[in-house]
Amino acid sequence: MKHLQLIRLLVGRELTLRYKRSVIGIGWTLLNPMLTSFVLWVVFSFVFAGKLPDGQQYAPYLMAGIVLNSFFNQGLMISAESIASNSGVLTKIYVPPQIFPISVALAGLVNFFIGLIPLAIVVYISGQSLALTFPLVIIVGFFLALLVAGLGLSLSLLFIRFDDTKNIVGVTLLILTYLTPVFYPISVLSDRMQNIVKLNPLTSYLDCFRWAFSNNSVATLNDWLYMGATGIFAILFGTYMFRKFWPRTVAML
Amino acid sequence: MATIEITNVSLTYRVLKNKTGSLKELFRDVLHRKVRVQNYVALKDVSFTVDSGEVIAIIGKNGAGKSTLLKILAQVLPPTTGKAKVSGSIAPMIELGAGFHSEMTGAENVLFYSTLMGRDMNRTKSRTQAIGEWAGVSDHMDFPLRTFSSGMVARLAFAAATDETADVLLIDEVLSVGDADFQLKSSARMAELISKGAAVVLVSHDMTAVRKLAQKAIWLENGVVKMSGPTEQVVAAYEKQ
Repeated sequence: MKHLQLIRLLVGRELTLRYKRSVIGIGWTLLNPMLTSFVLWVVFSFVFAGKLPDGQQYAPYLMAGIVLNSFFNQGLMISAESIASNSGVLTKIYVPPQIFPISVALAGLVNFFIGLIPLAIVVYISGQSLALTFPLVIIVGFFLALLVAGLGLSLSLLFIRFDDTKNIVGVTLLILTYLTPVFYPISVLSDRMQNIVKLNPLTSYLDCFRWAFSNNSVATLNDWLYMGATGIFAILFGTYMFRKFWPRTVAML
Repeated sequence: MATIEITNVSLTYRVLKNKTGSLKELFRDVLHRKVRVQNYVALKDVSFTVDSGEVIAIIGKNGAGKSTLLKILAQVLPPTTGKAKVSGSIAPMIELGAGFHSEMTGAENVLFYSTLMGRDMNRTKSRTQAIGEWAGVSDHMDFPLRTFSSGMVARLAFAAATDETADVLLIDEVLSVGDADFQLKSSARMAELISKGAAVVLVSHDMTAVRKLAQKAIWLENGVVKMSGPTEQVVAAYEKQ
């Protein structure tokens, strides 16, 4: 498929452009999650570190949360914006527009995999070791990429049509971050809050991820099923909505 | 069978009357039942065909629907009704350099742009140096585009766009670019591309160029074909009004 070449270029562009002018360039991809996690670790480790079950370590627990959360948040925002920001191309040259949000999700996936390297280092520093199940992380990344691409596809249409969607999505993502056990253990919440947080699909993604990578959480079969179902539903819904509304939306670009 | 077959193409933009730019406003207007949809007809019942080797010019005032028609030909915009059939590869030479990024190098931009146009990435890679040379920027190909002058960017975009030909050429006012020397060079190359046997649709306000290059012309006014036929007659009528 000839679009594969274009996707390859777009993913490369997405990965390198953000840090193009910086000295260490793509090294920021490694450094970013470490620095963010370190700051949050300094702030929260006193509060939450003792609340984790025996055998779990707060530093890798936190960092896994950051890595997955930034894949979702950044990926979704950039992929939803990608159609509008490439309107100059899309109104002149025919390329399947879906390529842009999908490439952003793929670039996020690559970033996610790169982020696993510093995460592994932190795992060993905290005296843990990688679980034998750690290749399953690929499955988590794959479904999260589907989720990001699917939601990005649907939102990108709204982003073109309405200026304020971006703000609404920004606030929603912030709420969603707090409703995901990124930096707190779920056990610190009240029973009612726990049920709400468990409804959030990202909680299942994160549980699967932490469990598979270094046993820092418990993931049930339901978590895996919930993850797979939401990922697949998102991509199907996104491609359907996109196909349906794109002809009307492109006239507004 | 003609390469381009446009049959009864109409395009209607749906515009919300109160111009709601935000969800909040739309929500408010829906509650007050103030949403009214207005239709804006950009093209109405346009039909024509272009064979391989034929050059057709589309002329008309600003806002007549020329750019909309080119977008439909480029398959970017689906017509509301009617059929726009274009067979073979399409090279849209509309605002050259779409997708250029100032932080990417000249070579990276050429590669990306050519791939966007549907060309093979590996073949473009081997052509990049030649493209840079033709544009007269071969020393700069490894520097970010932001270090280029605007003339250099235009020349590079032109060189990349015209490096390969296609079955269908869509040309929007880009018959030549750059300074006097480069204009000669680029218009010669454009003429060469046009004469290579593609089906060519040319949008231009430059009637001298239209007379020289096109065999047929279509005069659009307010989205409707006002006149079509041999270039000489249509252009003469257009200039007389």
